[in-house]
Amino acid sequence: MSQHYPALIIVVPLLAALAAAAAGWINKRYCFPIAVASLAASFVSSVFLLGRVIRVKEVIYEMAGWTAPIGIVYRVDALNGLVIVVVTAVALVNLIYSKSAIEEDFPDKMGTYYALYILFATGLAGMVVTGDAFNLYVLMEIASLTGYSLMGLRRDRATVSALNYLIVGTIGATFYLLGVGYIYIATGTLNMAEIASFMSQMSDSGSIRMAFVICLAGLFIKMAFFPLHGWLPNAYTYTPTASIGLIAPLTTKVTVYIMIRMALSVFTPEFSFKTIELSGAIVWLAIIGIVAGSCMALAQKNFKKMFTYIIVAEVGYMVGGFWLGNRAGISGSVLHIANDALMTLALFMAAGIFARKIKGEEISDMQGLFRKMPWTMAAFVLGGLSIIGVPPTCGFFSKWYLISGGIEAGNYYFVGALLFSSLINAVLFFRIFEVAYFEPFSESHGHDHSHGHEAVAVEEAPLGMLIPFYVVAISLVILGIFSGDLITKIIYFAIPAGIV
Amino acid sequence: MKKLGLLTVVVCGVLLLLKTAEFADWGDPNSPASRHLSPYFLENSIKDSAVPNVVTAVLADYRGFDTMFETTVILAAGLACFFILRVRKTEKPKSTYYRHVPTATTLRIIEGAVLPEQSKVFKRIDSVWVPFDLILATTCKAIIPFIQIFALYVIAHGHHSPGGGFQGGVVLGASIILMAISRNLGAAIAHLKEKTTVLMAMIGVFIYAGTGAFAALAGKNFLDYSTLATVLGVDEIMARSHGILIVETGVAIAVMAVMVWIYYNLSSAGKQDEGL
Repeated sequence: MSQHYPALIIVVPLLAALAAAAAGWINKRYCFPIAVASLAASFVSSVFLLGRVIRVKEVIYEMAGWTAPIGIVYRVDALNGLVIVVVTAVALVNLIYSKSAIEEDFPDKMGTYYALYILFATGLAGMVVTGDAFNLYVLMEIASLTGYSLMGLRRDRATVSALNYLIVGTIGATFYLLGVGYIYIATGTLNMAEIASFMSQMSDSGSIRMAFVICLAGLFIKMAFFPLHGWLPNAYTYTPTASIGLIAPLTTKVTVYIMIRMALSVFTPEFSFKTIELSGAIVWLAIIGIVAGSCMALAQKNFKKMFTYIIVAEVGYMVGGFWLGNRAGISGSVLHIANDALMTLALFMAAGIFARKIKGEEISDMQGLFRKMPWTMAAFVLGGLSIIGVPPTCGFFSKWYLISGGIEAGNYYFVGALLFSSLINAVLFFRIFEVAYFEPFSESHGHDHSHGHEAVAVEEAPLGMLIPFYVVAISLVILGIFSGDLITKIIYFAIPAGIV
Repeated sequence: MKKLGLLTVVVCGVLLLLKTAEFADWGDPNSPASRHLSPYFLENSIKDSAVPNVVTAVLADYRGFDTMFETTVILAAGLACFFILRVRKTEKPKSTYYRHVPTATTLRIIEGAVLPEQSKVFKRIDSVWVPFDLILATTCKAIIPFIQIFALYVIAHGHHSPGGGFQGGVVLGASIILMAISRNLGAAIAHLKEKTTVLMAMIGVFIYAGTGAFAALAGKNFLDYSTLATVLGVDEIMARSHGILIVETGVAIAVMAVMVWIYYNLSSAGKQDEGL
């Protein structure tokens, strides 16, 4: 079975999605076990696959047995080997965490929800492991379509903001597809490795340059890179609890991965960093994006919306760090994909728990939460510290690499933007901690005076939510401690040898 | 803001068009697209899979993995429509319409009144589509079987001529939708229940993915149809050809079912009691 790992990651969830959707019409109790089992199988395969990639550097799986340019191949190296583990892990943990939320929010559409959830994870996982530029688009379609519907079903503004996201996201995906079309016309192939091998003769071709620009523009829209981030805050704020822990951590990160993959393994570093002189401009946009995202986060009263602006700033970290074009910057960017996926997951898991226990979504509604749910808040503090970048949480280490990348490249504005954003994040989270720690808990804004000043009974989140939340929070520290190993054993090999 | 948007669109469009000037001409035999992979497909598709239609060979075999996910995209669209639109608990409508078939009289039953039994004599009809057109209903009833036979032909003939699972599935789905339009939604649902369409959609995609998984279980790579040789009792090349037919059938079932499912949900805003 071991040679089938790349296929198993995708195919097991796909079959399970069909089974879960059918089970929704036959016996709803089977939906959850099917979903968990399939995502667990997918996660285990990706861990084994990463182990194999560390040993043999590159694993290629030929779909239907056709070799590279004729058929579609999956190509897994250190870069996507790492990302695929993150994707499947986040999808699995969030699914276990969301069981009760799904049962409450979608009691009569559970089967369909699980099917959409698994298909979304399948789409993302496929985008990560594929070695074919068009196959990537097909899987992007799956992830987008299911993503829109996972976001869309809630009573308030969710449907409108999901529709808005649908329109913007479709434009982004279409740009990517147009880019692939240009590449195909110019080179006659869709296989990523083969496109790269043609690139040295093609670097002065206008259609290749256009393809590069338009692919990048499409991906920037999809990842909500400043100034194309307009769709993200609303879409994410109104997304149902169960979906947000899947969509927010993964969509932007996987798109950043695709950008890195396209720049390094399709257009080649030579072309992306030297021939086409865009990296300076992109880093500048990233700098503005980091500062603007942080400032907008500071202006929010709603904590969910605040988290969404933090995502916008974090996308700036990764894109900026990558386009610095040196080893430290790219390492930091890749490491941050893994770290930020888990950090964002931790934040939105906490938000999901808060949303069940307090009435509103404002920061001022969080009064007294430390006393009411001490365990949840302890893990939330860990997540907050990681976003700020306090050692030994993982956020510190990726920021460290990003900053040293900035210093190496001599781009002190980028370094400044990172430090500024860290300071703002510190303000953001300590503001929340202050409200939650020092101000007493009051039910629904003091309309009910009877509970006003008495000791608040501890009312923790259910264990089914708390345990997955703790798994994520503790993994933030574990990832931090082992980030040196991640860099030297995996990410080092993900970056082409030519980059110093 | 609107002007800015327009400006962006125009600039993008002009840039894209300008760069198309560097493209090879239409049908240029020396263009990269026709020099690199196309010759292989043209020369070898018969040898590899015994399928005379090169497009089918590329679609369902060489790049069959893409096609499997295209089918899944369609399934995802059906799931999404259902998920967003479907309402299970609906309040009873203010008034319902029935037709007394022997006299062709339309009855409007107001709220609280006793509803007649659904029978040969009393038929429930849509409030937005009261007139019953005998000519339309009869003509469509006569046409539908032929549409369906043609759909089967399109599916089966994908090996030799333009056609295949997607096209055939759409035609098949259209025949059911035609019934719903020419009579009413209830008539179509009575023939093909929602649960049946859902299960058919799942089964359709499962046929495709399951064929692939079978190949993986039998020791070759995922979707390698040549593993079917032992099961079907033919050589590996014919097995590929038959494999394509099997997955095309799966595609047709899935596409047909999802088309109908989406129509049921869209036309009745998810209530599935009264349609267009």
